[in-house]
This record gives sequence, structure tokens and C-alpha cells, in this order.
Amino acid sequence: MSGALVVLRWELVKLGTQLRVRVVVLACLLGPPALALGLGLRLSGPPVDTVYGRYVLDSGPALSLLVLGFAGMWVLPLLAGVVAGDLFASEDAAGTWKTVLTRDRSRDDLFVGKVLAAVTAVVALLALLALSSLAAGLLLAGTRPLVGLSGQLIAPGRAVVLTLLSWLLVLPPLLGFTAVAVALSVLTRSSVAGVAGPVLLGLLLQVLSLVGGLGLVRHALLTTPFSAWHGLLTSRVALGSFLQGAVLCALHLAVLLPLARRALLRRDVAAA
Amino acid sequence: MTATYALEARGLRKAYGDRPALRDVDLQVREGSVHALLGPNGAGKTTLLRALFGLVHLDAGELRLFGRGLDDGDRLAGVSGFVETPAFYPYLTGRSNLRLLSAYDDVPGAPGIEQVLREVGLVTRADERVGGYSLGMRQRLGLAAALLRRPRLLVLDEPDNGLDPAGSRELRALVRGAADRGLTVLLCSHDMAEVDGLCDEVTVLSRGAVAWTGSMSGMRAQAPDPTSRLVTSDDRAALGLATPRVRVQVHPAGGLCVEATTADLDRYVLALAAAGIAVRSLALEVAPLEQAYFALTGSAR
Repeated sequence: MSGALVVLRWELVKLGTQLRVRVVVLACLLGPPALALGLGLRLSGPPVDTVYGRYVLDSGPALSLLVLGFAGMWVLPLLAGVVAGDLFASEDAAGTWKTVLTRDRSRDDLFVGKVLAAVTAVVALLALLALSSLAAGLLLAGTRPLVGLSGQLIAPGRAVVLTLLSWLLVLPPLLGFTAVAVALSVLTRSSVAGVAGPVLLGLLLQVLSLVGGLGLVRHALLTTPFSAWHGLLTSRVALGSFLQGAVLCALHLAVLLPLARRALLRRDVAAA
Repeated sequence: MTATYALEARGLRKAYGDRPALRDVDLQVREGSVHALLGPNGAGKTTLLRALFGLVHLDAGELRLFGRGLDDGDRLAGVSGFVETPAFYPYLTGRSNLRLLSAYDDVPGAPGIEQVLREVGLVTRADERVGGYSLGMRQRLGLAAALLRRPRLLVLDEPDNGLDPAGSRELRALVRGAADRGLTVLLCSHDMAEVDGLCDEVTVLSRGAVAWTGSMSGMRAQAPDPTSRLVTSDDRAALGLATPRVRVQVHPAGGLCVEATTADLDRYVLALAAAGIAVRSLALEVAPLEQAYFALTGSAR
């Protein structure tokens, strides 16, 4: 097995034993069913002022899309932060760089393995949240047709497929935020900065996107592609904003990951 | 450079900002020897070990391990050990930490995890999380992690830090046994007494530079006479019996300070008795090697 894959395997083992990651897994798994239960028991009314909030009791996939819209605001940046923001900085905090760097794996192996572990974990958490919310929605409202964003009716089977594709479309910005978390974790050597940084950045960009007159700047914000899935649910499918977002996220990955890698390769491991 | 040295360093230089940590350090560690790297805190020992493992980047100099240069991909093959207190993942058990480190190695025929745990006496605590380990247990786990690599050169940074006297004795036996099997050991310490009797060679670092290097026997030969503290029934009269070979002065804490070889000290004590001066106490104050070490490093006792 190549060096980076060995590191990937053990980083996933380490992530799996950490309490905060287990809490996030449980939240992704149980959060949507808890929301569905609350709505089913009429503990609170549907959030009618949010995208698909008014349809959650009418069609199964609506709950999943409601969760997706909400997650794009700060949950997904938080997922990226919790998983990737601590991967490098925790080695500084525990003083374990000197332990792993005195073995045969190179710094490059460690960097690539850790980044792969971060990507694997955020993709798995995204999939878990998508499947959990879709299953909860289907249990809550069944498989009735979904109302599209242009007012058109979408057949149940197609609605499920489009819902899963919608979750897939937020993968690029999620990977972009993962790159932000990795870079913060390596450059600041602080778990707090690595975990909280992506969340704060996400919130800041959300606020910026609400400022009027920004025009083109809005397309350059890493949070904008989180709503690219809207284009799937209109009567004429529009993937332009998704493609723009994919390019933007690729740029983030292309700049931030080499920057973090270079910092890790060149740094002195001099602290205890 | 020849390959008869496990470690050979030439002209190593490293500075952290404006503060030099290593200043043209040369070091040669013969294969099969137990070599002490001595120096007070801040002398550059740990920086040298970090450079050896590639943890810090040198500003200048050449460092070779078993003839391999710093840039060789497998330069750490046959080398293991730890720098400062060994650190592990606190949320994993001792055994899981060793499994992880073993997976990060490419060592054919490496000893099993059970075997190294047995060697360091950690078998019964191996399934506990490292977060609950004492400092001494982490030292033992560090040693186990080092032995996993089946090293030819074992680098230990103050390994008996945190060990109780029994643990310290076991560690010395383990190091001596490893050396007897042909392993080269580089033992880093700030305490001469810790390495005396264990090491064949010694390099003393002071303020980032080599102050002395050679065999332990060579250092012993160059060491000054031992200093003893003597309390007599009449210190003033005893002071008057001093000779050029027995240097006597008043001890600041009371009694006399006597610097002489053992034979000259015997003669001096007999002369005191002959003069009717009773010896109430005579105790070794500074061992010769320690005295040499203090003189080389300029450090106070």
C-alpha cells in the first residue's frame, strides 16, 4: 500500500475514535429524523419562509431539500471545519509530529493522506446527511410529487433523483471549505482557527452576499455555489451557476492545498 | 566520509531567528558504541537530534547516517528513537499507537508489538488509553516504539526522565544489553552521572558548539582530582597541613574543601591523625567527571 494510503487509513481510524466526530456523525444521522418527528407531531409548524419549508408535509424529498438549504448556510462549513480543521493542528497540540516524522512515511505522505482522509470524511458525512434527510422526509410525507421552483410538478421518482443530485452539487463548495480548513490548520497550527475559521468565513460570505450592488463579486464567494442546486429544480434545468461554482472551488483547492503543503514541507518541527 | 560511523556530522549550523542553536558542530558516533551527548539545557542537544531526524532544516553542514545523506529517501532506515518526551495520540491505546507507528514503517522482519511491549514492561497496560499514562509509562512506550523499527542506531533523549529508580536501572540494563548486541546508542543527557558507566564515548555541547569529544576513559584521564568536603576537630590546624598535591580551602558551608587524588587524600588524612586532628566527616563533593563537565560547560552545580 502506498505511503499516503496507509496514512489515510490511520487518519480515518483516529477520526472515528474522536468524540467530536462521533457527535457530528450522530447529528447527521439523527438530526433529520428528529426534525421530521417534530414536524410530524406538530411540535412546530413548517418553516414556510424557507425554500421547500412550506412543502415538507406534502412531499418526501422536500424535507431533504429544506435541510440542504439550511446546511449550505453554516452546517456544511462546520462539517469541513470539524473534520479537516483539526487534522494537522492536533499533531501540533499533542506534539506528535516528531513521533510520526521519525518513521518512514514522508511529510508528503502525511499531507496527502490527511487531505484524503478529510475529503473521505466530509463526503461520507454529506452522504449520511443526504440519505438520512431523504429517508426521514419520505417517512414523514411519503412519495407524492414535488413542487419545483418554477411551480411545476415533479414526479416522485424523478424528485428523489433530483434531490440526491442536489446534494451532489454542494460537494464542490464543501471541498472548497475543506481546503480552507486544511490551510488554516496547517498555517495557524491552531485547532480553534481550523475548526471555527470555515464557519466564520461561511457566515461572513453569507452576509456579504446579502449586500446589494455586489453583482459579479457574489459569483466569487465560496458560499454562492451552495445554492447551485436550485438550477436543477426549475422547469428548465440551469447548471451555469454550478459550473461557475465548480471552477471557483477548483481555484480554492489549487491555491490553498499547495500553499498548505509547502508550509508543512518547509517548517521546522521545533516545539515540544 | 566512511561508513564506519553510524552518525557523522560536519559543520552543522542552525539558528532560530537571531539565536544560534548549533555552531559548526562536528560529531562522529562509531558503530556499536554507546555515545553520550551531554550538555546543559539550551546547549543544542535537542536541536542536533531534531536535525538528525529531519524535524528541523539545517542552515549549513552535512549529516550522514550509516553513510546516507540527508536527502536520501531511506536515510532513516535503521535509525529510531525519540526527541524530548515521547508524544502519542492520547485517545488511542498504547497498543493502537504502536500499531499505527508500525504501519508507518517499512521495516522488514520488525519485531512484533507484543515483543517490544514485553521488553519495556508495558504488556499489562497496553490496552489503556495513552492519555492516562504517567510520564514514565510514556517513556517506556517511546522506547517500545523505537525498538519496533529494529534499529541499528537508537537515539534516546533523556530516556530515564520520569522513571523511578527501578525503572531507571532496568533502562540502563536494556541500553547496555542493546549495545552488547551490537546496536549503536546515542544517549542525550544533561547529567554526567546518568551516563557514567554506561557510555563508551562522550561529546559535550556548550552554547551550541562542541566543547569536548572523545572516549569516556579519555575524559576521565583529563578530569581534575575529586573534591571532598572534610570536617575535622580543628579545621584551622588541618588547613596548615595542606601540601602542593593536596589543595585545601575553607568550605563556604563549613569545614574544608579538599582537592586531591585518592592516594594523596589518604596520606593527608593519616597526617591529620598523626597531628592529633580527628576526622569527623569526609564526603565526595564533586566526582571528577562531573567536575570536568562543569568546567567544560561553564555550568554551576
